[in-house]
Amino acid sequence: MKEHIYETDLLIVGSGSAGLWAAYSAKQKNKDINVMIVDKGPENWGGLMACAGGDLDIVMPGEDIQDWVKDWVYYYDGLCDQELMETLFKDTYEILEQYQKWGCEYLTDENGRMDTVGVPQRGLEHIKLYVTKVKGSGGLRMAKALAKAIKEAGVESLGRTMLTDLLKDETGRVIGAIGFNTIDGSFVQIKAKAVLIATGMGGWKSSYMKNPSTGEGIAMAFRAGAEIRNMEFARVWNVPKLFGWEGQTTLLPLGARFVNARGENFMERYSKTLGSNTDPHYSTIGMALEMRAGRGPCYMDTSALKPEDAAVVKPKLGWQYINYNRLKDDCGIDFFEQKTEWMPQPLMSYGGLVADLKGATRVPGLYAAGRCRSIDPGVYTGGFALASTATSGKIAGESMVDYVQELPLVELNQAEVEQLKGKLYAPLNGTGVPAKEVLRCIQNIVYPYEVSIIKSDGALQNALHKMETLKAELLPQMGAPDAHYLMKLKEVEAIAFITEWYIKASLMRTESRCGHYREDYPDHDDNWLKWIVIGLEDGVAEAHTVDVPIETYKHPIERYYQDNFKFE
Amino acid sequence: MITKIDSEKCIGCGICARTCPLDTIRVNENGKAFIAYPEDCMTCYLCEMNCPNGAIYVHPFKELLPRSLPNCY
Repeated sequence: MKEHIYETDLLIVGSGSAGLWAAYSAKQKNKDINVMIVDKGPENWGGLMACAGGDLDIVMPGEDIQDWVKDWVYYYDGLCDQELMETLFKDTYEILEQYQKWGCEYLTDENGRMDTVGVPQRGLEHIKLYVTKVKGSGGLRMAKALAKAIKEAGVESLGRTMLTDLLKDETGRVIGAIGFNTIDGSFVQIKAKAVLIATGMGGWKSSYMKNPSTGEGIAMAFRAGAEIRNMEFARVWNVPKLFGWEGQTTLLPLGARFVNARGENFMERYSKTLGSNTDPHYSTIGMALEMRAGRGPCYMDTSALKPEDAAVVKPKLGWQYINYNRLKDDCGIDFFEQKTEWMPQPLMSYGGLVADLKGATRVPGLYAAGRCRSIDPGVYTGGFALASTATSGKIAGESMVDYVQELPLVELNQAEVEQLKGKLYAPLNGTGVPAKEVLRCIQNIVYPYEVSIIKSDGALQNALHKMETLKAELLPQMGAPDAHYLMKLKEVEAIAFITEWYIKASLMRTESRCGHYREDYPDHDDNWLKWIVIGLEDGVAEAHTVDVPIETYKHPIERYYQDNFKFE
Repeated sequence: MITKIDSEKCIGCGICARTCPLDTIRVNENGKAFIAYPEDCMTCYLCEMNCPNGAIYVHPFKELLPRSLPNCY
């Protein structure tokens, strides 16, 4: 087995928006620092940013960040890390300016002004997204711009390399990582002064282009001692039954709506105040109730879009353009001329690593940025990810430069490395249960609506029992015939970890709040104004709660977004 | 999901294999790209967009997964 040994000052795991921004910002702060960015996919490919529309939530000059934070307190039903939201969004305009310098273009009015064309989100007063000028390849352009910038800055990049374990010195500081090349299987060791996890959320490999995010970065950091939170919240969205489509967060505010088999705009039944223009997670509950009541299937109806708005959201470039035309030409489906069937689908967990305002976890030398650090409790405004991944990456990259200043590189303990290596390659024997089969079992456990959308104690207990059986019996039997499948196997191990805690935390939170809806506890409970935090204590995973320090925050909770809905 | 790589049109540049996020495509010993791990395709169209000779066809329909509700599909 070939081996590669690398050393660097900063090791960044994941080359999506957060990782690329961290690498870029670290080099901007100190050009002499060595930065290495590693991805299990292609080198510097951009992660899910490469498939994103490119919309950004931007606090424009003249706006008050506190107005945005107030929106979030309301939208998150109080479960809002107010200082973190302020920190992450106050400088979003700088991010926009940087993208513009790199040649990325955003929609403006006839006078070239952007601030007049923001798309308000979810019926909120202040939070708005700004759309890319030419619909279809905005995210890919941003990813390419960032990749070019970090190359020019001298960042070292390593693609097709999955890192699986972090190593610490005797003081408990993270000093490197090991993993393998997913093409030839060769072993990789990397010595580093600090490590950033920027690997995105843990997902269930849904059919909507979210397949690369499977949570192994979160699981790896958790094993090294970092805490996770918000595991009870999952992104469950309505998606087209047959194909992928990016952009419902722009379509719905502009007048598109979900309708049931009778053609009724059913969200008007569940929300007199917001109707269709709401968060996708609430639309999903509505759609699931419609289907359960026999009023399915449900559809996306774009007929109420004004022609000028339809012109803006009609894809003109990139994958969305090919997709739109191919659906029309080869499948007889014209997205803007007919209703298309949609259905709810669990995509990924909102749970992730706990980190401070600078991105540091409780483990020295270990940082988190982007979607793998938990920010939001299961509701989502369009443009949130591309903005918050950029700022959290930037902040973490800069903080790590300060952190490593006087630190030495430490030799990895080779006995420990050998032990981890043996464990890593053990399933690589050509026999055993294929990872895909186990993934399907996990999807079968988590996809049913009573586990993922309209949760209840009985269904969650049942799901947990199945998950524990799977973990004990099926997971250890997985095998991989080659390095590619070893990567898939490690992904499924992480998905199992994420799923177990998704179910456990869902059981624990005996109330409904934000994206977590319990049919047996349909209202919020003031005693639950707290986060569920999970960490390893003496090697055992334990969950505890942490109160939201509302008395120390700037904004009290005056109203609840969930009060806009009545699901009965 | 990727359904076809036309080996007549494939010029063996390997761009599709290098840029596929899911490592779905590899290049064989004859220098032609082929679909090595079809079940991993996430229908992102990156291969088709990157192919300099129009050799790749991605079908818009995706893999059907377990349903959340009985009448999902």
